[in-house]
Amino acid sequence: MSEAYWGLEQDLKTTPLYKIHNNSGAKLVPFAGFYLPIQYENGIIAEHNHTRSSASIFDVSHMGQIKISGPMIYDAMEKILPISFSKISPGQIKYTQFLNSEGKIIDDLMITRSFEEDHVWLVVNADCTDKDLDHLYNNLNKAYKIELIEDRALIALQGPNSSNILKTFFQEIDEMPFMTADWFNYDNEKFFISRCGYTGEDGFEISIKDRYAEKFISKLLQSEGVKLAGLGARNSLRMEAGLCLYGNDISSSVSPIEAGLAWSFSKERIENGGFIGHEHIKQDLDNGVQRKLVGIKPLGKLPAREGTQIFDKNEKTIGQITSGGYSPSLQAPIAMGYINSDSLKNNCEVLLNVRGNLIPAEIASLPFVEHKYFRGNK
Amino acid sequence: MAEIYFTKEHEWIKVEDNVGVVGITAYASEQLGDIVFVELPEEGIIAEIGKDIAVVESVKAASEVYSPVSGTIIKSNEDLNSTPEIVNEDPVGKGWFYEIKISNNDELSGLMSEEEYQKHIGD
Repeated sequence: MSEAYWGLEQDLKTTPLYKIHNNSGAKLVPFAGFYLPIQYENGIIAEHNHTRSSASIFDVSHMGQIKISGPMIYDAMEKILPISFSKISPGQIKYTQFLNSEGKIIDDLMITRSFEEDHVWLVVNADCTDKDLDHLYNNLNKAYKIELIEDRALIALQGPNSSNILKTFFQEIDEMPFMTADWFNYDNEKFFISRCGYTGEDGFEISIKDRYAEKFISKLLQSEGVKLAGLGARNSLRMEAGLCLYGNDISSSVSPIEAGLAWSFSKERIENGGFIGHEHIKQDLDNGVQRKLVGIKPLGKLPAREGTQIFDKNEKTIGQITSGGYSPSLQAPIAMGYINSDSLKNNCEVLLNVRGNLIPAEIASLPFVEHKYFRGNK
Repeated sequence: MAEIYFTKEHEWIKVEDNVGVVGITAYASEQLGDIVFVELPEEGIIAEIGKDIAVVESVKAASEVYSPVSGTIIKSNEDLNSTPEIVNEDPVGKGWFYEIKISNNDELSGLMSEEEYQKHIGD
């Protein structure tokens, strides 16, 4: 068999949960410079289904946590990000992207407006952390303090039971609406907890000091209905939720408008500009884009992976798959990819070239599985 | 009596009277994780030793399966079309991939015994 998964690794960092992974039958793989679990004993499908039906813990400590503080912080950040702080309340989280001067995506990220009003808190992709920091240093003057938080683990708890489980530690947590964050105390430790995630389910991301991570996760694992899940399930969950993965579906050669991320832009900022890449974004919105990210359902059982060419019925290439695999919820293959806008307009037939087999496929709307975010008690 | 041989690339072949049954090892199926699709060779296809002949798709990735010997495909395991997970459940039994009429028995001498294979994956 081909050697997709038997590689040896060197010089990799471990996360504060390394011991827990090892004691839980994790299959550790090199990922973004870290040893991280691709799965545990039960396997990806079981972990995926458990997340959708109950709750799972994911170690996402490899992700970059960045704190930026300084005078007139919102004005400074608005020069870099296409969002409007006047529309974001303290404690609110926004999904956004760093753009280059061509209006292409340097990274996508979550940013929180702090209650203290003196800083913002960012969570960025592990592989992009270095270039993100460069981008920040290049575009913020010396009055701003840019801190990479290197002593805090990041743990995602995802699934419909997440809130009930976390409530036993933090009483008020179930009232927090989706896309808000706050500080909590437990056992004399400070927790920064965000109600957000990457699975389409209700859930939380919990930032805790490295030294306390193992202890807390061990406690969390004693709660009923919670299990560990790895990167494999994280990927199939986010694909079902139609969420982009940096490096696959979005990159520094992709415009957020092509990727269907226009919803994450502030309307007012698109009109008034003043952020890096604005001209190109405005052009993309006014003139339309050449290709668009869509959901794709291959007919039959054969999964179509990233890099698969998309053909029209005359076998002319009209696009490419950027993420693809198996959906445990639909028990069928799913994919995301870019297709020429003209071909999409004509509603053309789509074939996928999987190792020379031409597989018919349907264009599908995203997400494949409905989001179940908690929007607040009304 | 059928004899079983292994490749370094984690395929097995059980041979009896010039006919081999081929599959992937328990070690391989465990490494791959949940298998969701197997692309099998059609009857009559000529397989070459060491060349890709089938594809296993797990939730994680697609991996090619190389034929342990040269020969002609006699039959493939149609049960895998509807229940590919039997490769995880019983890799060296019900999870077999295809039957092959071996064209050159000498090729078997280049394969590993069970003991050699266990040593190989132990490294």
